[in-house]
Amino acid sequence: MTTETTTATAVRPPAAAARGRRTTPGSRTRRALGYLAMLVGAVVFLYPIFWMVTASFRPGVSILDDPLGLDLSQVTLRNWTGMFDNVPILHALLNTVIVVVVKGGVLMVFSPLAGYGFAKFDFPFKNFLFGFVLLTLMLPTLVLIVPLLLEMSQLGWINSYKALILPGAVDAFSVFWMRQNIAQIPDELIDAARIDGAGPLRVFRSICVPVLRPALAALAVLSLFNIYNDLVWPIVAVNDQQHETLAILLAGLNANVSGAQAGVSSADLWGQLMAACTFATIPTILLFVFLQRHFIRGLLAGSSR
Amino acid sequence: MSQIVWKTSAPRTGQPVRGARGPEAAPGRNRRRLPRDWWYGYLFIAPFFVIFIAFSAYPMIYALELSFSDWHGGGQLNWVGFGNYTYLLKNPQFWSSLGNSGILWLLIVPAQTLLAVGAASLLTRSKMRFTKSLRTVVIVPYVTPLAAMAQAFILIFDKNYGVLNAILHFFHLPEVGWLTTTTWSKPSIAVFVLWKTSGFALIIMLAAVQSIPEHLYEAASLDGAGAVRTFFSITVPMVRRQIGFFLVISTLGISQMFLEPYVLTQGGPYNSSTTSGLYLYQHIEDSDLGTGAANSFLLVILVFLLSLIAVRVLRSKEDM
Repeated sequence: MTTETTTATAVRPPAAAARGRRTTPGSRTRRALGYLAMLVGAVVFLYPIFWMVTASFRPGVSILDDPLGLDLSQVTLRNWTGMFDNVPILHALLNTVIVVVVKGGVLMVFSPLAGYGFAKFDFPFKNFLFGFVLLTLMLPTLVLIVPLLLEMSQLGWINSYKALILPGAVDAFSVFWMRQNIAQIPDELIDAARIDGAGPLRVFRSICVPVLRPALAALAVLSLFNIYNDLVWPIVAVNDQQHETLAILLAGLNANVSGAQAGVSSADLWGQLMAACTFATIPTILLFVFLQRHFIRGLLAGSSR
Repeated sequence: MSQIVWKTSAPRTGQPVRGARGPEAAPGRNRRRLPRDWWYGYLFIAPFFVIFIAFSAYPMIYALELSFSDWHGGGQLNWVGFGNYTYLLKNPQFWSSLGNSGILWLLIVPAQTLLAVGAASLLTRSKMRFTKSLRTVVIVPYVTPLAAMAQAFILIFDKNYGVLNAILHFFHLPEVGWLTTTTWSKPSIAVFVLWKTSGFALIIMLAAVQSIPEHLYEAASLDGAGAVRTFFSITVPMVRRQIGFFLVISTLGISQMFLEPYVLTQGGPYNSSTTSGLYLYQHIEDSDLGTGAANSFLLVILVFLLSLIAVRVLRSKEDM
């Protein structure tokens, strides 16, 4: 199913472009209106980001005087220097990177392995265990928050990296998806390797992983964004500055509360707040631009379940 | 909906291939001996299962137990039967949180679904150029951190210096307290959610519409069907499965939504934007964990029923 969709998408563009040449004069106005709508859509979706980024470089007075943010004559770095002085954002970034790397690493190793176990081995209770995993696919994460919080406090893990990393490090969807992908690898290929004397782990490394590369890339990119932006569980599990991730830090920032700083107007705090938000947002946009292909493939894989 | 691909390369003969579970393998299930290396299966799923059981399965069962207790995060755990459930079902705040989520659902989901299918259909059918570029642009908000963009939207929605009111002012319209009035708090959150998640809807619908076979449209145009007729009798039925998926996902998402109101309005003013997810979170903040657990199960049951209805409705259309 997944492959069907992707092939269709991949094949279509050249065909569509070829057909696009044959336009009748009557439909020209409609197409012009269509492009106008596209332009309006693009502006609507990009403008808030544009506004946030530019506001972070404008002095507070300018943010208030020109709400639309089109006057870019007074560029300043004061918001950014002020933000770095007042907000422990670099430390939060470091925490986010730690969590993304370790949590993502755990996911990227354990989920494909489990998918391999489910796809290519027969063992007692396999279907029962897999059914159990699928069941949790339907349950919302919100249900887990209360008991997980208690579990963490019993383990003494509140405000620790362990609490940020381990819960949710493996998820039902990734195992399900990996299993689907590995099941499509022909058994003949695996049997041939086995006859050549490769052990099960060797088969996984030298047969499954190369075939899985596109799916693994998509899973990695999807997980990267999910973990980077994750906030529901982190905001419950962590309430100290030492382990705060970027998302937790930003959710807690408030232009009015931080008004305690002497000699800084509230408008300037808007600028600092926007600098902090820009600091956290820019990496996601840059990563997205480079990893777009994998990200979209991952999203579509999720939708064709 | 979840069609599991067991084996793409069906075994040509009836020989017992390891892991084969095709229809023809089913009768001989008991006779088929386990391969020599069956325990490797356990070895490979073990690391996943350790984490899965510790941080998903066990808490899930723990939550069920908690929902029948009056646990406050300390002291003694008292069994209260269905006390938490009846407390919630009798509590007007619980119902108003559900109502708020329901209104948000109405403000977001129908419009988003229809717009996504409509836009996808327009882009594909009119053979518009720059479709891929637009897709990229529209998905960008989806990858940005929610916390950061919600902060930016607080300022965009600001009554005195925000962009929205500046635009209203330009057209000589009265200014609006977007996040500070009970009338507008929910629509404002809906605007934010629409902005943030529409790209996801568009990507799914674009892929679905692009895979509709061209000859269906040719047949429709031969039969003299207009654009609107074609949209509702070909495009919409053909992407029904994706619409179903999207409805289930967004219903699940909106029933759990708490970060958006948490950052934008803190549920205010006067609880007008306290969603069911935020209400649940407030139990946690108050250390009223038994009630919180019961609340989460009520939401699960509700979402499950809603998804069931959605799937039913979509399936019955299929039969027609």
